Amino acid sequence: MTYLKPLPDTSELNRPFWEGLRQHEFRVPRCADCGDWNWIPYPACRSCQSEHQVWTAVSGNAVVWSWSVVHRGPGAFNDEVPYTVVLAKLAEEPRSLIVTGNLVGIDPAEVTMGMPLTVVYEEVPEEDITLYRFAPVR
Amino acid sequence: MAFPQRQAAIVGVYTTKQGKLPDRSSFSLQLEAIKGAVDDAGLTLADVDGLLPMSLTDHLAGTPAHQFWAEQLGERPLSLVELGGASGQLAKAAAAIAAGLTEVAVLFYGKAGQLVGPRGTVAPKDKAPRVPEWSFMQHGAYMTTWYALWARRYMHEFGVTSADLAEVAVFTRHHAVLNPDSVMGRKGEITVEDVLSSRYICEPLHLLDCSIDNDGGYAIVIASAEVARNCRHEPIWVLGGAEAYYTDFYGTINDPWFPEGGKSVRKATDRAFGLAGITRDDVDVAGMYDCFTITTIRNLEEMGFCKLGEGADFVREGHCRLGGRMPTNTDGGLLSNSHSGDPSGMHTIEVVRQLRGACGDRQVPDARIGVSLQQGWAVHGMGSVLVMARD
Repeated sequence: MTYLKPLPDTSELNRPFWEGLRQHEFRVPRCADCGDWNWIPYPACRSCQSEHQVWTAVSGNAVVWSWSVVHRGPGAFNDEVPYTVVLAKLAEEPRSLIVTGNLVGIDPAEVTMGMPLTVVYEEVPEEDITLYRFAPVR
Repeated sequence: MAFPQRQAAIVGVYTTKQGKLPDRSSFSLQLEAIKGAVDDAGLTLADVDGLLPMSLTDHLAGTPAHQFWAEQLGERPLSLVELGGASGQLAKAAAAIAAGLTEVAVLFYGKAGQLVGPRGTVAPKDKAPRVPEWSFMQHGAYMTTWYALWARRYMHEFGVTSADLAEVAVFTRHHAVLNPDSVMGRKGEITVEDVLSSRYICEPLHLLDCSIDNDGGYAIVIASAEVARNCRHEPIWVLGGAEAYYTDFYGTINDPWFPEGGKSVRKATDRAFGLAGITRDDVDVAGMYDCFTITTIRNLEEMGFCKLGEGADFVREGHCRLGGRMPTNTDGGLLSNSHSGDPSGMHTIEVVRQLRGACGDRQVPDARIGVSLQQGWAVHGMGSVLVMARD
């Protein structure tokens, strides 16, 4: 079945991120000078403006920082309501790593604040891309 | 260096019909609004020499908006172009007018035929649409979802309930009922129970927690003191204004999301009020961006009208309602008056009408000082404030 939900228009600059998803790694630019993580990826570190950032795989461990159960979705997403969009706070600190994602593998009514999550990977059929989703830790 | 108080004034305002306008184009609404506001001022198009478009989008592919409009409005050079959000554009225009860069500038917007909500996103038949690399749309989120995520986190941190949010929809609808031009006024008053029993769009936001999604246009004319004194209406003076930008743009956020010191709206408000030489207690009437019920509550806190976490109490105590300490969004706001694409100038127009004493059943008695807040691109990622006063 053709995937009809929106897909990212990926850039050469961020190729290591999308390549990472294919290898089931969630990579975040980490500053080689001050050690801070920068999400979403920017061309230089937001803490010290160093351009020396290294794509570094994170653990994928996260917690629910906020969530919304969507009852009216845009475009092809409307075929899947109700579904859950989550703001997941990744375990790696000190910089807050709050990532927007789609939460799968759980009844929307069972989501709670602070619930442990992990990054999971979804291969998109007929497209050369892997997406990240979040799922509860079972 | 002080802000040039009372050296520029808002002299003309105009709103087209708001609602479903299938026979109109965005351009046509913009042109009607520009002509209407200039006429309201008692001026002519030939007097306009500054332009405050709400975006650089043009009507002639490959041509910047300012050049398109310079030609369309009579093939005359225009002296000033300011971008940003409506309140901030007007503040910058006031400073530019005082400095002699322009004498009469017009801010305008109009949109028809393109819905901004999920109804405006058509599902493709054969191939996945592409969106920007970090767009929340790939996760099934859209504007309402993002504000819902924000509302959920806020409610969690401060013990605020859905019924608290609903109070915003209730008072704003009450104002719309008193505004014969509002889109939702004819539907009558609503109760907290009505809001809570309306269907969920994105939990915890119900249908009636969301602004409406309609067509419409508007324009505002700002002019030098010399011009203003000879206009049709009494001048509504600019006392001060400011804008600020922060990180939130639907892609990146930090914990805490609600810092004690505030974000862009706080910074813009502090600066604007400081330049205008007013305190929070001086404000007789306010217009503030209210795309969702949660937005009004957060704006009251960010603007410093109450403390962090106390926005819902401020609303429940009736301060925003007509008859209260600081009637807010007296036209019915984006929730119940009109939300057309980028409606951020609508709040300024209503405040101007209040200061003119032209609001009929919804008039705030003896309103002398008013404030408009534009806020957008994200939850407090961008904010601007304009402080206005009558003589």
